[in-house]
Amino acid sequence: MEKEFFEHGITWNRRRFLSTLSLGIGSVALGSLLMPDLFRNGMADDETITPGIPQFAPKAKRVIYLFQNGAPSQQELFDYKPKLREMTGQEIPPSVRGNQRLTGMTANQASFPLVGSFVDFKQYGESRVWISDLLPYTAKIADELCIVRSLYTEAINHDPALTFIQTGAQQGNRPSMGAWLSYGLGNENKNLPAFTVLLSRGVGNGQGVYSKLWSNGFLDSVHQGVQFSKGEDPVLYLRDPDGFNRRDRRDMLDHLSKLNELSYKEFGDPEIVTKIKQYEMAYRMQTAVPEVMDLSKEPDDIVKLYGPDCLVPGTYSANCLLARKLSENGVRFVQLYHQGWDQHGNLPYEISRQAKDVDQASAALVTDLKQRGLLDETLVIWGGEFGRTSYTQGTLTKENYGRDHHPRCFSIWMAGGGIKPGIVYGETDELGYNIIKDPVHVHDFQATVLNQLGLDHEKLIFKHLGRRYRLTDVSGHVVRDIIA
Amino acid sequence: MNTKLKIFSEQMLVVLNIFIVFLLLFENKLILPYWLQPIGRMHPLLLHFPIVLLMLGIISDLYTTKKGNANTSSYAKITGLLLLAGAILSGVTVIMGLFLVREEGYNGGTIAWHKWFGVVLFFIASIMYWIRKKRWYSPAVSRLCAFLIAPVLIVTGHFGAAITHGDNFLLQPVAAHIQKSRVPVDQALVFDHVIQPLLESKCTGCHNPQKLKGELALTDSLAIVKGGKTGKLFIPGNPDISLLLERVHLPVAEEKHMPPEGKPQLTAKEIELLTLWIRDETPFSQKVIALPEDDSLRILATAIFNPDEEEKFDFPAAEDAAIAQLNTNYRTIAPVSKGSPALNVNIYNRNAYSPDQLQELKQIEQQVVSLNLNKMPVKDEDLKIISSFKNLRRLDLNFTDITTEGLNALAPLPHLKTLTLSGTTLSYPALKEKLPSFKALKTIAVWNTSLSAKEMEELQNINRQIKFIEGFADDGKNPLKLNPPQVRNTSMVFANTLNLQLMHPVRGVQIRFTTDSSDPDSLQSAIYDSNTDITKHTTIKARACKEGWYASDISVFHFFRNSFIPDSVRLLYPLNSVHQAEGAHTFFNTKLGVIGANNPAWANNWAGVRNNDLVLVGMFYKPVVLSSVGLHYMLEAATGIYPPAEVEVWGGNNENHLKRLLVMKSPKPVKGEQASLKIVEGSFKPSTVSVVKIIARPYREKDKGKLLLIDEMFLN
Repeated sequence: MEKEFFEHGITWNRRRFLSTLSLGIGSVALGSLLMPDLFRNGMADDETITPGIPQFAPKAKRVIYLFQNGAPSQQELFDYKPKLREMTGQEIPPSVRGNQRLTGMTANQASFPLVGSFVDFKQYGESRVWISDLLPYTAKIADELCIVRSLYTEAINHDPALTFIQTGAQQGNRPSMGAWLSYGLGNENKNLPAFTVLLSRGVGNGQGVYSKLWSNGFLDSVHQGVQFSKGEDPVLYLRDPDGFNRRDRRDMLDHLSKLNELSYKEFGDPEIVTKIKQYEMAYRMQTAVPEVMDLSKEPDDIVKLYGPDCLVPGTYSANCLLARKLSENGVRFVQLYHQGWDQHGNLPYEISRQAKDVDQASAALVTDLKQRGLLDETLVIWGGEFGRTSYTQGTLTKENYGRDHHPRCFSIWMAGGGIKPGIVYGETDELGYNIIKDPVHVHDFQATVLNQLGLDHEKLIFKHLGRRYRLTDVSGHVVRDIIA
Repeated sequence: MNTKLKIFSEQMLVVLNIFIVFLLLFENKLILPYWLQPIGRMHPLLLHFPIVLLMLGIISDLYTTKKGNANTSSYAKITGLLLLAGAILSGVTVIMGLFLVREEGYNGGTIAWHKWFGVVLFFIASIMYWIRKKRWYSPAVSRLCAFLIAPVLIVTGHFGAAITHGDNFLLQPVAAHIQKSRVPVDQALVFDHVIQPLLESKCTGCHNPQKLKGELALTDSLAIVKGGKTGKLFIPGNPDISLLLERVHLPVAEEKHMPPEGKPQLTAKEIELLTLWIRDETPFSQKVIALPEDDSLRILATAIFNPDEEEKFDFPAAEDAAIAQLNTNYRTIAPVSKGSPALNVNIYNRNAYSPDQLQELKQIEQQVVSLNLNKMPVKDEDLKIISSFKNLRRLDLNFTDITTEGLNALAPLPHLKTLTLSGTTLSYPALKEKLPSFKALKTIAVWNTSLSAKEMEELQNINRQIKFIEGFADDGKNPLKLNPPQVRNTSMVFANTLNLQLMHPVRGVQIRFTTDSSDPDSLQSAIYDSNTDITKHTTIKARACKEGWYASDISVFHFFRNSFIPDSVRLLYPLNSVHQAEGAHTFFNTKLGVIGANNPAWANNWAGVRNNDLVLVGMFYKPVVLSSVGLHYMLEAATGIYPPAEVEVWGGNNENHLKRLLVMKSPKPVKGEQASLKIVEGSFKPSTVSVVKIIARPYREKDKGKLLLIDEMFLN
């Protein structure tokens, strides 16, 4: 390293400096003529972004994202389509299907018969919103929910769609939503990571989750999602080995940080500072995590609220309870993934089981946050990566059918965090195939989430490889109509 | 300048003066030919020239006539030219204006003022130009002219702008802001405070009594009812045939579309407001809050009065150094948003808490707007420290050790809006007495306190302005089903005896179980305790029961005894490449597989063969007495996983001298048989062996082998 500095010093003489400088100034001047924003924008970076502080007063301080991995079918859960039921068995009209590309799984299918929901819907709450019989507990909190029936995405397969909704790009290597929030808002509790991830799986056909979904991308690695697992060690490698006490750990860390500081002085790599900070936080997490994981102080009613599975580590229900505890302890972004929603076939059986897995605990989480006065500052999101087709995949029988991937519309719900409660936003056609009112692109959804946390999605940027990156890439509008 | 031209210009000025006087005298009789209208319409274009020229002229003249400025003759010339050009152009502008005003839609007070000021301006400018040449023209006179011309110029310009842009164009943003913050929603009228401001912001620039485009004014209720040239704007209750909305809904490029292309357009929300206002036949005196609660018009209108504006804090910011110093690992202090003086404070980690953490916050007591103490061992006396945080908006005290007594200290906080007290000990009488003294309180969370539902209802009735958050309490009316018991034993395969370890995560649950494959019930079956031992292959069926819950589903656990693990094992033929598991060791590693072997993640415990026999040779250093052998296999006919067609067991003291001890056959699966895990087991006369050889043959169909998957073998 020192050698390079030295060589740099002798090769850069005055003539070279001046000639390069003149060229540089000239091109900058020309550039500023062509792009009037060049300088102003450059300044704006520094002026508008203060990582760790919201840009304007936020409605929500934290997010809990109940991700339904595999894409739950909207037709059986939130988007009631009586007409689709009537037309079950009929071919989908080409005018409705349009030029939507198909997945490899149904591309060779000879016919595309429509299929309505096997399950009934009823109206609930003061908002009289239609909710499926598969979700009796969710139905009870209908007046807390903002159901968006008009979300749409660009990807048609799980991996790109998941990556898209989580990171704003289909290809990966970008920071996840939680990482952006960690970057934008910082830790509320310095003893826990700002972004945590919890996984569970149901009996339905599952799709993988990969750690790239909670990646920090090009952001500092402190913003990476930390996975809490179900075993004895919720956070891996956090526990001291046997025969090693906290004082030993303290000594070791003190010495290690001295070494790290030395190497930082030599190389100036900011990742070293990050590392020192991370070790220190891990040390504090050694006491903070057990406090969070401890269920013994939970009131008895909590078990009845979430259902008894909340005491079985690794279940969706337990993860919801844990999500509440983490959020309550200042974790900015708690991301759950529940696998098993990919009902290409055997949908009626599988979706019933999946819905049963998540229904009570999802509703319980909202209720629980509310009764602690936390719902107004916590945004809860429930939803998958895309929707499912209105026609069947495979053979349609009286009792059984499946649905393929459908990016054109899907339903999610949000609660709390300054989102209007008790409303339905957006509308799909009678067959639940196309959006006919108030479409919400994935970037619009992301922009809205950031907005609720006091971040302007156009200003929360990070410069990397000469380009300014945002969670919403180059588009996205805040959906003002769903904001309270 | 050419003298001829100058003389011509001066004569021109005289002519203009006369012509304008003439025009003013016979204004009402003037009929403007259509081809002159464009001249009139150039008025707004030309008027900028005289403004600038006259301004320059008077400034230049002030300079020229000032005493002590030598050599001013060339300045005097230029000044003369400036004033001449200014006067002539203002004359032309006046004429154009007089033409323009003949067009329809221009009348009213502002027009008249604008006209007369404009004319006066022109006359003064002309006079100034002439008298400049007089000998008595002194600096004093110059100043007098300047002080006459400048204000008249400004006033004329202002009136002109008011005609083009609307009456209060200049101050409208300020006025709108003041008005918005002044009318509280409970006094607001739908027309005066919702519809009218909307029209003012987008329509009245042209449709006002001065300009009257299309003979329409939208400035007051009478004029709106009257309508314009094309007719009435709307019939109350019938938005579908409303002229007003028709114009609004026309495509923007359409000539009749309103507001015209290029002007600020109505937003979707504003259009909806107008539509609802017409549809509901809203009287002009309608109050917003008198509308029904769920009325769309009311919802939209209320939103205008409660804009989600950030609260402005008027206290000074704390010093950065103080904040940095108070920010510790267990106490986070952060501004509400960038540049805001208001601070959020969160305190974490029960063990690290001490009242000093609050005491130290006194340095920033003015700035703290929210304080989170959830789950901290906060005592009543600690709350006294908080009583000086007079800008506190939100205080979280869930699951703290405070009591109702401690709340006294909080009552004086003038801005405290949100208070969370869930999971604390509250007494009803004390709370009832204290709550009314919390003047600003809007929301209070009182879940999981000792308050009964009835008491909370009482409190809500007394304190209407406060929202009580109660939450979930189990009333026992909707019992839930318990989840099934779980097994804690590390392995389902044991050597001699096994202490059965069943558990259930819910406190106070009874586990009832059977060992004879009958279904346990919640009354008769044995109650599990930790002293239950088993000594042979056993199927345990267990269910969990608890008062107030439905009994759980039955969970079934298969325990297998394997008394002997060979000291060495090997396979004579290779395993299927996909199902290698741990090779020969698979069968005695005490790890059972589960159904679904085609899923690689779960396949690990299954070793399989398809086209050759599975032949395992196990050796014991010390001979063992063997009397039975069992193989645990998977059956999943749909994916072609079959039982072993035949199993042979050979034993002896030497690998080369083995005796056949046992032959077993298992039946082919029947069509449609459910996937399952099964065991094929047989016993024989106890034999002492050092070597055991187990041969399992897969089924063959049409010359193709069926997959055989085995995870464990049991030697007893």
